[in-house]
Amino acid sequence: MTASPPTIRHPKITAPQFTTPQLSKERALSARRRARRTALIGWSFILPNFAGFALFTLIPVVACFFIAFTQWDAYNPPVLVGVNNFTRLLGDSNFWISVRNTAYYAFGHIPLTLAIALGLALLLNRALRGIGIFRTALFFPYLTSLVAVAIVFNLLFAPDNGPINQILNSVGIANPPRWTASTEWAMPTVIITSVWRDMGYYMILFLAGLQTIPREYYEAAEVDGANAWQRFRNITLPSLRPTTYFVLILLTISSFKVFDLIQVMTEGGPGRATLVLSQLIYRDGIVQGDYGYASAMSLALFVIVLSFTIVQFKLSERGNK
Amino acid sequence: MKRKLIASAAIAAAVALTLAGCSGGAGAPTSSDGKTVLSVSVWSMAKTPEFGALINAFEAANPDITVQPVDIAAADYSTKITTVLAGGDSTDVIGMKAIQDFTKLSGEGALLDISDLVTADTSAKVTGLDSYKVDNKYYALPYRWDSWVLFYNKDIFDAAGQPYPTTLTWPQYVDLAKKVTSGDGDSKIWGTFQVTWPTIVQNIAAVQTGKDFLGGDYSFMKDQYNVSLDLQKSGAMMDYSTSTSTKAGYAPLFTTGKAAMVPIGSWMISGIQQAMKDGTGTIKNWGIAPMPQIPGATSVTTMGTPTGFAVNKNAKNVDAAKKFVAFTSSAAGAQALAAVGNSPAYQDAASTATLFSLPGMPTDAESKTALSPDKAVLDTPQAPTTAAIVQIGTDEHQLIMAGQTSLDDGLKEMGDRANSEVLNK
Repeated sequence: MTASPPTIRHPKITAPQFTTPQLSKERALSARRRARRTALIGWSFILPNFAGFALFTLIPVVACFFIAFTQWDAYNPPVLVGVNNFTRLLGDSNFWISVRNTAYYAFGHIPLTLAIALGLALLLNRALRGIGIFRTALFFPYLTSLVAVAIVFNLLFAPDNGPINQILNSVGIANPPRWTASTEWAMPTVIITSVWRDMGYYMILFLAGLQTIPREYYEAAEVDGANAWQRFRNITLPSLRPTTYFVLILLTISSFKVFDLIQVMTEGGPGRATLVLSQLIYRDGIVQGDYGYASAMSLALFVIVLSFTIVQFKLSERGNK
Repeated sequence: MKRKLIASAAIAAAVALTLAGCSGGAGAPTSSDGKTVLSVSVWSMAKTPEFGALINAFEAANPDITVQPVDIAAADYSTKITTVLAGGDSTDVIGMKAIQDFTKLSGEGALLDISDLVTADTSAKVTGLDSYKVDNKYYALPYRWDSWVLFYNKDIFDAAGQPYPTTLTWPQYVDLAKKVTSGDGDSKIWGTFQVTWPTIVQNIAAVQTGKDFLGGDYSFMKDQYNVSLDLQKSGAMMDYSTSTSTKAGYAPLFTTGKAAMVPIGSWMISGIQQAMKDGTGTIKNWGIAPMPQIPGATSVTTMGTPTGFAVNKNAKNVDAAKKFVAFTSSAAGAQALAAVGNSPAYQDAASTATLFSLPGMPTDAESKTALSPDKAVLDTPQAPTTAAIVQIGTDEHQLIMAGQTSLDDGLKEMGDRANSEVLNK
């Protein structure tokens, strides 16, 4: 990530000393043509990707800003309704419950995943026999299909005859939590599952960050008599700042738009205990065909994610000074 | 120059492919041999034998028409059909997989008024016709109607020394379920298995008591909830949370002899036959009884759900499309459907005989009459408020069945939410 791109050396063009106006004009023209050609070549390289991005992401995102102010069933032409969708949003208990649940999920998922991923990376950042096996094993959950993860964890967490509660029973816990069947425990269950799945991925990012810290720092610190905690606190953490920032941004965005895991595991239930914003957007938009209102909710989600990202950006900037 | 040629050829191919993808199914109205080509949207054709049966029978009866099915994966059907119709697609006949699809599409004005297809014969013999009626006009015709009935495993009842269920009341059903429950762990046989959908409690209560599911007062559901809560508490039925977390399926439980009774729609008939055919099921002797009734009921009332066909407003072959739709809910269509194990919406003695002559079907007279209840009502009344109220009902159903709220509080909350969020009372 920090590697600089290879520098391209252009052959130096030495301009002849004397030129007629006619010639210089031609040369200017050919230079412009060359520049245009270079630009076109550049464009042609990014075009396949950009065309797809524009068609399936950029245009819909821009359209969302318009659709949010209309009532639209996707079949008949949209009808402008002003800020109606937004005033409706403010009085919608489903919206507020899903905002609260999304925040609950994010504030559980982000710090836990960050801490565990960092811990695992520190643990596996050493020369050990068979370290590759451990790293691969921890990355494995991330490669597993999310639907499969959700179904298997549902079975593990089954309240009456699931293996987890049977183990808890056998160690003397008489009334173990009823996990996804209980309104209090449903969200923690989802968070545990998602942390388990994501930790390997972020661990790899931290591992990459750890590899870039020069060994000399630690050697110098050891000579100065710093203990393990002091070395971690004063060398590892500050050196990992760019990686941590990157991980934090990725985690924040993925947490706020969580959908698939919850849709498969609890469908937002029991009741509305795990109903999150993306799910509500999907329900109102795709399922019920109320695209205007769903777009207004998407904008609300966009504003939430944007403001968190800006705060993180500012904090990181201040930390860098 | 040459490179330019290749590039433009590639672009042309891409554009052609894209256009072909967009207009999939529209096609030319006539084929090379002068036949009319009728496009019909269907779902997961390989797993849904009814489409092949209907299309073959229709083509045999109408040699001048070739049917071109547009096959869409069942799980994506609703979303995809809404999207392509919004894009102005001209597929002639549109399959109505769920009643919600019909409500959405007819509400958007995407379907053609086909009231002229409703003859005296159809109105007399087709069950569920009015499910597709909006403002006294018909926008689709049902070809299948699946009533909810009580499936039971005769061998489990014989082993327990209990009589086969007949027209039970709900309390009798609970008692019987407790009596035929046996075993533990892997050898457990559940007295009954109910799906986790709220339908089995909320909608059947509304249909049998005649109360309004969209009305905002849900205290009438109390007795029906007590049936389910009693069953799961006594262990005669797998409890709700286990059913949801293990995603237990009613058809596998019934066909492997793990559940003595299953109240479900008649669509399970084809599931049982499939399981017996491919060897995943062990069930041998089974029967069908009418859906249990509320105490004091004088006739058999149950809920049901239609599956139908509509004509696209942008259809290219309107006449042929109407012919096809009319055929699917006629006596000839019913024969074709019954022959592959479906319950046709058009009910006559001939199609019932065909259905029950299939291998593995029960042969007793009670099972045959169970499929023709005195009154079969659409499970979920359709209105603009339906989707939101169904969602609220689902939320509260989960809380009540998982024991996260008391029955009274749950029903009160359901009414309060329906009134404040949807009905604006």
